[in-house]
Amino acid sequence: MRWVVATLALSVAACATSAEPVSAQATPASPTAPSNAATPLADAAGQQAYARNCLSCHQSDGYGVPNMQPAITGGTWVQGDAKALALFVMTGGFNSAERKESESHNVMPAFRQLPDAELAAILTYIRQKFGKGAPAVSAADVAAARASLPPG
Amino acid sequence: MTRVVSMALATLLAAATAHSQAVDELKLPAGFAATVVHEGSGAGRHLAIAAGGDIYLGSRDGIVAMRDSDGDGKVDVTQTFGDVKGTEVVIFGDWLYASDNVGVYRYPLKKGQTVPTGAKETVVDGFPMERQHADKTFTLDPKGTLYINVGAPSNSCQEQDRQPGSLGRNPCPILEKYGGVWVFDGNKLNQKATDGRRFATGMRNAVAIEWNASQNALYAVIHGRDALDTLFPALYNAVDNATRTAEEFHRITDGGDYGWPYTFFDTKLKKRMLAPEYGGDGKKTPEQGKYPDPLVAFPAHWAPNDLLFYAGKSFPAKYQGGAFIAFHGSWNRAPEPQAGYKVVFQPMKDGKPSGDYEVFADGFAGDLQDNNPRNARYRPVGLQVGPDGSLYIADSQKGRIWRVSYKK
Repeated sequence: MRWVVATLALSVAACATSAEPVSAQATPASPTAPSNAATPLADAAGQQAYARNCLSCHQSDGYGVPNMQPAITGGTWVQGDAKALALFVMTGGFNSAERKESESHNVMPAFRQLPDAELAAILTYIRQKFGKGAPAVSAADVAAARASLPPG
Repeated sequence: MTRVVSMALATLLAAATAHSQAVDELKLPAGFAATVVHEGSGAGRHLAIAAGGDIYLGSRDGIVAMRDSDGDGKVDVTQTFGDVKGTEVVIFGDWLYASDNVGVYRYPLKKGQTVPTGAKETVVDGFPMERQHADKTFTLDPKGTLYINVGAPSNSCQEQDRQPGSLGRNPCPILEKYGGVWVFDGNKLNQKATDGRRFATGMRNAVAIEWNASQNALYAVIHGRDALDTLFPALYNAVDNATRTAEEFHRITDGGDYGWPYTFFDTKLKKRMLAPEYGGDGKKTPEQGKYPDPLVAFPAHWAPNDLLFYAGKSFPAKYQGGAFIAFHGSWNRAPEPQAGYKVVFQPMKDGKPSGDYEVFADGFAGDLQDNNPRNARYRPVGLQVGPDGSLYIADSQKGRIWRVSYKK
């Protein structure tokens, strides 16, 4: 009897909680087991750096916000050439057709100020999470891309 | 024991049933009930309702005209018409006024006609096409003065918009053409954007703009700035960004300056602060008295998208003259939980807040999977009062419209 009452109380409590309208928690999904060379440590660093620099616009699921910021998930850049992706992020997509033709309201900042290793960790993370597990990006890839940017 | 268990099961089942019903229902104060009058018109925006009950929904795909021809409480005639794709729709006199990103137009409303057959007339056009904060929401006073919200195509007037560390342009040249309210003659056709007079400035984007007939005054709820933490990480963290930059409710006066982009109203310190783009260090405040404090500082990023002063007959006395505000809900609170997908009631007396705001309608968003606004079940965006005093609420996810009525 006590068990029944306790269960009922629990069920009702659970029901009441889940009926709360806005109860979503910010829980970036835990990093999935990497299918490539990235170490678990790099993955966690990438997730943290993504949270600091990218998440508020592109959101934890990489889908962006309709009308506001575009999705990374399902895009071609995220799964394409590593150096091109690094250039895109370092310039905020400047001069890309995506930026010029975008209907998103907000422009992307340039992330040129991020060190090679941090940017590489972010790019590796988004390729694993939102880019169908595209290969990891190394700090050397980012450095090579950076070398091709005009000074400034 | 068997009986106890079966009773318990019955109770559980009842609770589960009530829960599954409640999931899709709005949470309202006691005595109020909501019915769904329509769903399926896409990205709904604002609402207008004619004296005879016909409903007009502004939308990104054109204006949707609706009628409940058999009086069963549900719309049974729906037709999208015209080429005005935007947010605002207002009935003024015998006209339906509507706007898109570059102008305000009107259609004649004839008795018995749900879809206007007359030609569209241009009241004002020629606003520059922008991507950001481009909706030209508006309101009219009884004389026909047209007040248009011209949002700033910028977050904080940085030299480079939304670039970390980029400083503010001073003075902000955007304010010459945007970031305020411009007035026109709503009865005059074919005006150009440049013919307007700047009525008020320092308003980043006042989507929720409304003439308050009982006070003979203009009011607005302004979208506050984004991205304190990502633009100035040395001064502000993600929680500061998610919680401190108010959505400001103001009475808008002729010549008023409401502080954008130089300042923001900090809900934690409860005072106006100098923006980090303009030398703010988390402590500096602007010159005392230069910009008014808001009547109410609503939580950051809730996105106030419509404002309505209740003057209907059917709600209890406390709602008379008070303000309903539709908050579309946040995106810029992530990684903190998103918030604000609700309709709020602000009690008012003599045009001033007379108590704390109350959540009037809630339960729109659902469980908001992945904390992403795209997964919200509904997002309230438009408000209107029907001929019988009911409050209508429009949603932008599925084009749902609710009618909220009071039962004594």
